[in-house]
Amino acid sequence: MATPPSIPGEPTQTGTALTDTAASTIQSFAPINKIHQHLCAFHFYGHDMTRQVEAHHFCSHQNEDVRQCLIYDSPESNARLIGVEYLITENLFLTLPDAEKPLWHSHEYEVKSGMLFLPGVPGPVQRQDLDKVCKTYGKTFHFWQIDRGDELPLGLPQLMMAFTRDGQLNTTLAQDVEKRFSVSFEEERMNRAYMTGPEHGIHPLANGGGKGLKTELRDTDYKPVDSVPRIFV
Amino acid sequence: MASSDETPGVMPGQGPTVGKPMTVGSQMLDKGAQMLQSIKPVKQMKQHVCTFAMYSHDMNRQIETHHYVTRLNQDFLQCAVYDSDDSTARLIGVEYIISDRIFENLPPDEQKLWHSHAYEIKSGLWVNPRVPEMLQKTELRNLAKTYGKFWCTWQVDRGDVLPLGAPALMMSPQEVNLGMVKPELLHKRDSKYKLSSDDLKKSRVDIEEPEMINAVADYWKHSGKGFAVDIEQTEMKRNAPFP
Repeated sequence: MATPPSIPGEPTQTGTALTDTAASTIQSFAPINKIHQHLCAFHFYGHDMTRQVEAHHFCSHQNEDVRQCLIYDSPESNARLIGVEYLITENLFLTLPDAEKPLWHSHEYEVKSGMLFLPGVPGPVQRQDLDKVCKTYGKTFHFWQIDRGDELPLGLPQLMMAFTRDGQLNTTLAQDVEKRFSVSFEEERMNRAYMTGPEHGIHPLANGGGKGLKTELRDTDYKPVDSVPRIFV
Repeated sequence: MASSDETPGVMPGQGPTVGKPMTVGSQMLDKGAQMLQSIKPVKQMKQHVCTFAMYSHDMNRQIETHHYVTRLNQDFLQCAVYDSDDSTARLIGVEYIISDRIFENLPPDEQKLWHSHAYEIKSGLWVNPRVPEMLQKTELRNLAKTYGKFWCTWQVDRGDVLPLGAPALMMSPQEVNLGMVKPELLHKRDSKYKLSSDDLKKSRVDIEEPEMINAVADYWKHSGKGFAVDIEQTEMKRNAPFP
């Protein structure tokens, strides 16, 4: 992740960049002004645990029970927006229809193992929030498969999953992140031993219900528009 | 298991979203993190765009969208899409925008997932609220020739209180019947921002249309078909036990 990503295209022209900055001082950026937290974690593809991605989440609270995050491939200015994640508390997760629950993953292991962390935030402060995250469930889609070298967001959205036990996360990937952010997962694991996961335990339907999940594309036919005749070019 | 075009099962919940208001403790943690962390990628969002989109599997379902746009280079933009521009806004998806130059190099199977922007911009549907038109002219000229790919992860218009199901592919307004934005939806938006799409359309007459719009984009126009995404069970390739 040391080299900047290569996206096809010319560098931004000065005229365009100036307009961008001028516009941003007048408009309402309320939704993104709420994004206050940077959280680093790892995801893998719902059908392939061997494909693992470092994921930088930029999160805001919808309310006490719901968070929404933009996922980037790095915390830098030229970072690529690769996906989204929603986090919900256990009580909300339990209200989901059973067909929906498998699309959500638990966070208990990620938090307790130390592999999920808030870069730049001292341990004791991080842990106050992570104690809550530990009990939540997340739903993540990635739209840009950078791990296979895609220079553009090609193909279908990918349902992503989170790690649930030791031995799953690739050690080279883990060590690389630990080094770059000067953290030790092992040390954090010891500091987080007191944390507990969802009150009712990890739901058996979560985490794909233990199965692999993948997305497929299907054609659909149009529903007729009542008052107006269908016209196709 | 879950599809972008199926109505999900019944969920209890009242109001637009579920969940309790943030506690004071959470707010303080939030503020604390905010002071210590840099949120660089988010600071790169320099534009707010308000426009409209339709679900590719049901063009009758139309939504007003709020895009927060980052330009990564002259040919590529990435947008976080919300359902409003206020602090209660829900993150409903992501849109990527590429120049026609880049688009032409994509294989047809990929191109069919993308939509064109020329009509949306020229007709005054696509606006930068509160920004004087002349400030945006250069950018609009550039964007009129682009293509977008928009995945919607939260179908708020059908009343979902949480993001349910598979992501839905969205399409852009077009001049043809099923692509026309419903007048009441447009009127509501225009009133809110005190603008007139009609006036904008007149002032954008000088924006160059692309010479040709790729026939594979806006797939529904020629094929009469939309796309849905299904999530299916499959064998997970793994390097360790799961879960």
